Amino acid sequence: MTTLTETGGAPGPAAVSAALGRAAVRNSAPRCAVLALVAVAATGANLALPLVLGQALDLLLAGDPEGSRRVLWCTGLVVALAVLDAVETVLGGTTDARTTAWLRRRLVGHVLAVGPRAVGRFGPGDLVARLVGNAAQAGTAPTTVAALVAGLAGPVGAVVALWLISPWLATVFLLGAPPLVLLLRALARDSAECVTRYQRAQGRIASGLAEAVAGFRTIAAAGTAARTVARVLRPLPELSREGHRVWRVQGRAAARAAALAPLLQLGVVAGAGVLLSQQRLSVGELLAASRYAVLAAGVGVLVGQLSGLVRARAAARRLDEILAEPPTTYGERLLPPSGQGRLELCGVSVGRGGRTVLDGVDLVVPAGTTLAVVGRSGAGKSLLAAVAGRLTDPDEGEVRLDGVPLRELDRRELRRAIAHAFERPALLGGSVEDTIALGVPRPSPARVREAARSAHADAFVRRLPDGYATPCADAPLSGGEAQRLGLARAFARDCRLLVLDDALSSLDTVTEHHITDALHHTTAAGRLIIAHRAATAASADRVAWLDEGRVRAVGAHAELWRVAGYRELFR
Amino acid sequence: MNGNTELGIPRRGLRFLRRRARVVGRLGLWSVLETGQTFLMGYAVARALDDGFLAGRADVGLGWLGVGAVAVAVGAYGTGRVYGCVAALVEPLRDRLVRGVVERGVREADGGALSGLTQQVEIARDTFAGLVMVSRSFLFTAAGALIGLFSLAPALLLVVALPLVVGVGLFLATLRPLARRQEAFLVADEALADRLGTVCPALRDITAAGAEEPVAADTGRSVDAERRAARSLAHWGVVRVASLTVGGQLPVVLLLATAPWLLDHGVTPGALVGALAYITQSLLPALQNLVHGLGTSGSRLAVVLRRLAPPGEPSTADATPPPSGPPPPPCDTAPTPSGATSPPHPAADALALSSVTFAYGSAGTPVIDGLDLRVPHGTHLAVVGPSGIGKSTLTGLVAGLLRPRQGTVHLCGQPVPGATSRAHRVLIPQEAYVFRGSLAENLGELRPKPVPEAELWAAAEAVGLTELMVRLGGPAAEVDPGALSAGERQLVALARAYLSYAPVVILDEATCHLDAEAEERAELAFARRPGTTLVVVAHRVSSARRADRVLVMDGRCVAYGEHDELVTRSPLYRDLAGAWSPAPRPDRSPLPAPGPPGSRASEPALPLRDPDGVDPVARPGLAGDGGHVVAHGAVGKVQAAGDLGDGGTLGGQ
Repeated sequence: MTTLTETGGAPGPAAVSAALGRAAVRNSAPRCAVLALVAVAATGANLALPLVLGQALDLLLAGDPEGSRRVLWCTGLVVALAVLDAVETVLGGTTDARTTAWLRRRLVGHVLAVGPRAVGRFGPGDLVARLVGNAAQAGTAPTTVAALVAGLAGPVGAVVALWLISPWLATVFLLGAPPLVLLLRALARDSAECVTRYQRAQGRIASGLAEAVAGFRTIAAAGTAARTVARVLRPLPELSREGHRVWRVQGRAAARAAALAPLLQLGVVAGAGVLLSQQRLSVGELLAASRYAVLAAGVGVLVGQLSGLVRARAAARRLDEILAEPPTTYGERLLPPSGQGRLELCGVSVGRGGRTVLDGVDLVVPAGTTLAVVGRSGAGKSLLAAVAGRLTDPDEGEVRLDGVPLRELDRRELRRAIAHAFERPALLGGSVEDTIALGVPRPSPARVREAARSAHADAFVRRLPDGYATPCADAPLSGGEAQRLGLARAFARDCRLLVLDDALSSLDTVTEHHITDALHHTTAAGRLIIAHRAATAASADRVAWLDEGRVRAVGAHAELWRVAGYRELFR
Repeated sequence: MNGNTELGIPRRGLRFLRRRARVVGRLGLWSVLETGQTFLMGYAVARALDDGFLAGRADVGLGWLGVGAVAVAVGAYGTGRVYGCVAALVEPLRDRLVRGVVERGVREADGGALSGLTQQVEIARDTFAGLVMVSRSFLFTAAGALIGLFSLAPALLLVVALPLVVGVGLFLATLRPLARRQEAFLVADEALADRLGTVCPALRDITAAGAEEPVAADTGRSVDAERRAARSLAHWGVVRVASLTVGGQLPVVLLLATAPWLLDHGVTPGALVGALAYITQSLLPALQNLVHGLGTSGSRLAVVLRRLAPPGEPSTADATPPPSGPPPPPCDTAPTPSGATSPPHPAADALALSSVTFAYGSAGTPVIDGLDLRVPHGTHLAVVGPSGIGKSTLTGLVAGLLRPRQGTVHLCGQPVPGATSRAHRVLIPQEAYVFRGSLAENLGELRPKPVPEAELWAAAEAVGLTELMVRLGGPAAEVDPGALSAGERQLVALARAYLSYAPVVILDEATCHLDAEAEERAELAFARRPGTTLVVVAHRVSSARRADRVLVMDGRCVAYGEHDELVTRSPLYRDLAGAWSPAPRPDRSPLPAPGPPGSRASEPALPLRDPDGVDPVARPGLAGDGGHVVAHGAVGKVQAAGDLGDGGTLGGQ
């Protein structure tokens, strides 16, 4: 049994319970250790500096020659601080980058190994948000952990230093600190309400703009752009008003915050001054005390670090959820060389969201023939197509291609043997040519063009600004054109089974006719076609009528047509 | 990246600030309070020591510290007011950016404008505010500290200012390469997000194609590019540390080193302590904020601004005036004797194309090649052809949204595109535009003045909107576009076009979400509208049947004529007409088609496989394909009579 994520070790239940954040820290353990040491050393130097500074000042004031040696110590400390700071900056930044990249590579590999199930579980937007935003947040976990000890040691050390200089000074500081913390917390609460109103006005502009972008042709043709712009911008004054209000609230909070730290410091200096006038303290000690008061007030930084760590952990948990989704496993068997693409579904049942969508389906697509599948919406047609190509696994039953169960097939062999075309193909790859050539092995340029011709895509592709080299993002494709590119992708490969999941629905009837005609003339492979139109069903060798997850009948279109319920399907 | 644009943003920033000189002045005045605070925080401490604590007079010392505390309170008040001034700078910038984004989004149908509106504008707002705060704070704090040093002892200023200037200079000198690294990082980060944004929704296709490895390798390259950019940015952090050390820490050492000399020259111990306080408590933090703020916010702002407001773009210049003035003369009256343009075609032709060739881009094969077409006034023309053949391109050319590579287009004798031609036509595309606002506003969008209510009701009745209008609560009712079905939105767009003064009406599959009956009613309304020339890009064969003339488009081959004539002349038209034959649908108990059961020929979905076959008559029993020549909508929005639609569209609307 193999999976795509063998390099990382298939994460079993044990791996899942180990938080990704911890794994990330382990992954850069040496760097983290160095970072922690550097941070602690820097904190130590930072705490030592005021002391040495004060001593140097006292000695200089006393005219003691020892003073100049203390100045040298100071210089040494400053240089050491600079070096440590530089190391911390570079090492911290590169470690963040390294961890984030490591997480992203691992997650992308895992998501690809899980396959379409990952999108079903999380939704594409959320998945992207996790891989981009959450991975970056979780990537800072190791450096945040490493800096935490030092971050704690700084303020605590400063208070201890104050205490050592004089317990009175530490008391003054500790009494003044609680209001500081309380006022800082008020900051977040105050602004929440006007921020909400601000965002609401912004949302109204955004939805007006979204409507206008969708109605671009109407607006351009009518020349009403100026009117439209004015209308979309109607909530702008409100946005501006609320914006000003947000700043005012923030200003009030900032003013309080700005006053508190200096006032605390002045209080400590006053205490030290009184002690100085009683000759219980030296000038240098007063200087040191004033500096320690500032360092101790840096406890706010610690709060920031802690909330950063909380964010990183929450992000890592969201990434853990992705890793908890087990990757799709493949076998190692190959297809018999003589097979012609006979597909068998035996007792296939699949549930979705607590509902049985496919219920004991038995179907055979003989080699070289076409089977059309019809049924009401919700009858399970697309799920049947997915099961037939192993884009999802049945809960019960088995799917076999040329006698080999799909689960036991080697991944490359499986994907080479079965080609899919979808109702809404995803056009990824740099250019139109790349999107047709998606897959391993990559088809030759000549083959790509031939496939495009069979899918009636060649003509419109050549009309694109750069033909086949046009980037997909720049190609103004209609639904039917995108479908034809998806068909071309399926046609560009030699496969044993072709699965068209509603892949002709946006084509006009003439084009659809030409394509199905071409399809039926290729006898190399079996074909499974999910159909909505009677014409498509009529052109197939046989039709399977799916009703509420069960096969209601299999036969030629003309025979089934005699049944009223069958005719109802095409009303 | 480009030196030209890089210069542009600071210069435009200066212009922006110059225009708001009063706000900048107010900002300066309130900031002076902070300067005062900085000044006193050092000066008061120095005096408290020299005159108070060291002189054995604790009360004097405490008094000086009290003065410092008052200064802190006043400075804090100033800080609060500074936020108000920053708002007066930042909010107008945000308004301008929002206006620009909306402007571009509306005019260029730029879908990216949406993320610009909600994300990039906010980044610009925050970073600009941060930038103003940080640089202002540095300037005024540094001023307060330097003045304080000077007033304590002029010699102190010399010792401190020199390394400070060197440190700031070092930082400013490396600002540009640093900004480049920062920008490279932002670009790489965005590229990675884009890449993941295309990969994640495509997992099904990737798995189906077995393309996991190439996609992983490709995505891995984006991940690595981002990592490299982040690493390079981290390395440049050393410069920040260096300038901080030189500008903020070196003065401390210098002050101590020169202390004996300074003490000999009349500098008091208090002044020395005050000077050290200035450096460690004011200058160093301000420098720290400046170095971190300018380095990251600055380049972030530059990147975002460059994207939101490219230089050289007219800010609010408006090319299209709102519709105003009298209704244009109908086609059949003589053209206004403006004389500037002499119409090459007689006014009798509502629409005239001569040798029109059009291709997308310079390398593309022409979509329309040498098309000649004359549509007399009052004609009802239907355009038919397979999807993607260029029917919408044709309407775009006629409406002047596209410019032909060769040839000319004239509408009522006026050249297209041209300033005068727009009033002569109205184009309704497939995707109807309905906006949040009153129904009357929506309907009267193409009229210079509000439309009388009676006229609104009459137009609604003509196109079949009455029912919806009653349900919503009359013309004054507020419309939520999201709550309307696609067909209802199309009815609103149709009524709007009906109310316009334009004599030429172009419906580009504008009725595709309506059922056949509603479509007929709407088309007939326009056909009966006085003085109207109607061009319909047909969605069903019935549209072509109703028209006076039909234009069949098939790549290079084009056929133009009446229905009966085309059936014999154009194999494609025969094919299409056969395929969407308007034959009555099989009733409840239809007989299977004639012929032996099971034979495929018995139920030909397309009876005219052979283009040379001569049987244009529709047959019964054509199950499915209920009259649709063109599937419409975004991929997958398949619906309509006869097709099994998902999502409740079974059996049509």
